[in-house]
Amino acid sequence: MIRGLWDRETVALLLLAALMPVASAWLWFGGTEALLRLLLTLTVSGIWHFVFMIVRAQPPSFAGAITALGVAMFAPQDLGLVAMLLGISFGTVMGELVFGGWGRNVLNPATVTLAFLGFGYPGVSWPDFLLPIAWAAIPTAALGVIFGVMPVRVILGAVVILMPAWALGLQSQPALVGAGLVLVVLVSDPVASASTRLGGWLNGLTYGALVVLFAIHWTDAAAVQLAVSAALLAGLAAPLLDEIAITLWIARRTGRHG
Amino acid sequence: MHAFSFPSGLDTSPEQVALSTCEAVRLITEEAALTPAAGEEIRLETVVSEGHVVDQGQPIATLHGSTTISIVAPMAGRIASMELRPGRRLVQIVLFRERGGDRHVFNTKGAEADPGVLRNLLQQSGIWRLVRSRPFGAMPRVDEHPAAIFVMASDSRPGSPDPRLAIQGREDAFERGLSALTTLTDGPVFLVASKGKVPGDDLRRVTRLTSGRLHPMGLAGLHVHRRFPATPKAPIWDVQAEVVANLGDLLATGLLPETLLVSLTGTALREPRLVHCQAGADLRGLSREVVEPGPHVVLSGSVLDGASAHWLRPRDRQASVIRKETQHERSHWFRNALRTASRPLPIIPTAALNQSFGGNFPAAAFVRALAAGDIETATKFGALSFLEEDLSLADFVTAADPPLSRQLRVLLDRVQDEEFGQ
Repeated sequence: MIRGLWDRETVALLLLAALMPVASAWLWFGGTEALLRLLLTLTVSGIWHFVFMIVRAQPPSFAGAITALGVAMFAPQDLGLVAMLLGISFGTVMGELVFGGWGRNVLNPATVTLAFLGFGYPGVSWPDFLLPIAWAAIPTAALGVIFGVMPVRVILGAVVILMPAWALGLQSQPALVGAGLVLVVLVSDPVASASTRLGGWLNGLTYGALVVLFAIHWTDAAAVQLAVSAALLAGLAAPLLDEIAITLWIARRTGRHG
Repeated sequence: MHAFSFPSGLDTSPEQVALSTCEAVRLITEEAALTPAAGEEIRLETVVSEGHVVDQGQPIATLHGSTTISIVAPMAGRIASMELRPGRRLVQIVLFRERGGDRHVFNTKGAEADPGVLRNLLQQSGIWRLVRSRPFGAMPRVDEHPAAIFVMASDSRPGSPDPRLAIQGREDAFERGLSALTTLTDGPVFLVASKGKVPGDDLRRVTRLTSGRLHPMGLAGLHVHRRFPATPKAPIWDVQAEVVANLGDLLATGLLPETLLVSLTGTALREPRLVHCQAGADLRGLSREVVEPGPHVVLSGSVLDGASAHWLRPRDRQASVIRKETQHERSHWFRNALRTASRPLPIIPTAALNQSFGGNFPAAAFVRALAAGDIETATKFGALSFLEEDLSLADFVTAADPPLSRQLRVLLDRVQDEEFGQ
């Protein structure tokens, strides 16, 4: 009879709140340039949400701001304005809005944007992150998990792989920093990551394993580039991992009850 | 079988603590009514007419098509009105209380020895109607044999009275009723209660299950889903502990107990209240003394799964009185277009969604199967063990539109049509 507040927009706002530590650390160290990039991505994302609201009666979502933040943080730095506009338009429209808006998308739209830019404009330079920004990923993940809007198993699964790999020297510290930031901003998206318990673990492990694999074998890639590529592949695998988890769950249940 | 408890859910202890300080008072309202349970549609052949004076427990109507099943008067009184829709479908039968009225005596001879006689007694005394059969959630068909029975001595809904309180001091009656119930099924009888000793848990054929403290762990649905999934060919019954104790009293004395333990909670009450009242009691009569001035809504059931009602619905053991939200959102064609364009609304898989299903359950995938109307997948997830009340917490948590509980009902109705072709 009474209704909770936990609709789609509440979840989006809580995600935004959880991302605040990372976002503010990044803005603090990035200065005016970072702020301008964020304003640009926010504007473009906002325009597309508005267009889909008018044309397709799709309610706009605060999730657009999360996409904008992800793109502004991780997009290559020396891209021209046109490339940036194309990239974020492609990611927002093809990654999210054509599916019916946030909550119905398959992949994280910011990941789609970044993968599009990475494949479309090879040879551009990807951003590096200072250590303090990486530290901010920890409170972000903690807030996300406490609010219940970030999948805890995905994060833990990734950390289980990434930390030992770094300790063993399989990947450099910048690669760990990049992978950690991509993990909290792009991978631990409740919609695009696996939603089952086992699927979440597998999703996190897949992401971590891919990052380490790329760090070892893809030597000329920047830290963020390989993390984004791993995020894209892990995102594509998420439905399959969920399906595996569900099949096992149903098989166990059938075994128990006939 | 080992005891288990679920790991997660909604903590409703503030409401329970507030209730536990209340002293239950006996309060028989001047009016009471027989109404359909939530979502129930029953067709009646009335055996009395308006103006008749009836005894407490006296059958006043039988079910159309299965005349052995009766519904009985909740108190001694005069039939004030009988409202039936076309097809003799029950809307409400209202009674005015007559002081000094008698109590109807049932013939209980042989009921404890012979399951056939016991079934007849259950059907005549109206207890049959308080038993809920899964899948679909209606009262059992007249010749139905359950594959298992779940006796619920727990209820985790916010503001619900502790069912153990309802059977306190009636342990013998409860055990008698419970052992009678075991004769009705060849399968197991599960007794679900929170930790601690419960009367009857040492009976042969009774399996004790421990329910968690958090909502929805105290609902029958999760336990049925986990321990003995319901199918159309193997229906599962769930019965409230108080009803089992009533059956025990009926078997011992031939009389139906006059009162039920009902809680009143909610934001529009000055204080919560526990009452012993008759079935179908007038909810305004129950709450009048403790309700705060101002607009309010009276719900039969909890704030999660209740519905606005004048009378206590048959299986409800609580009423909620909540403040009425008076703000009106101004209507605008564009906002309406946005609101109605894409239904069902997308559900974001969060920890809250998982917890509202009690943990280890692929909630997001289940919700998706419901929204897509995918009977096959939803059935694999165990949808047939659930009823609306089991999804009401998920509805609250996700603000789903249309509500998941309604989507489930649509799915159950379709399965029922396919199975029984109505």
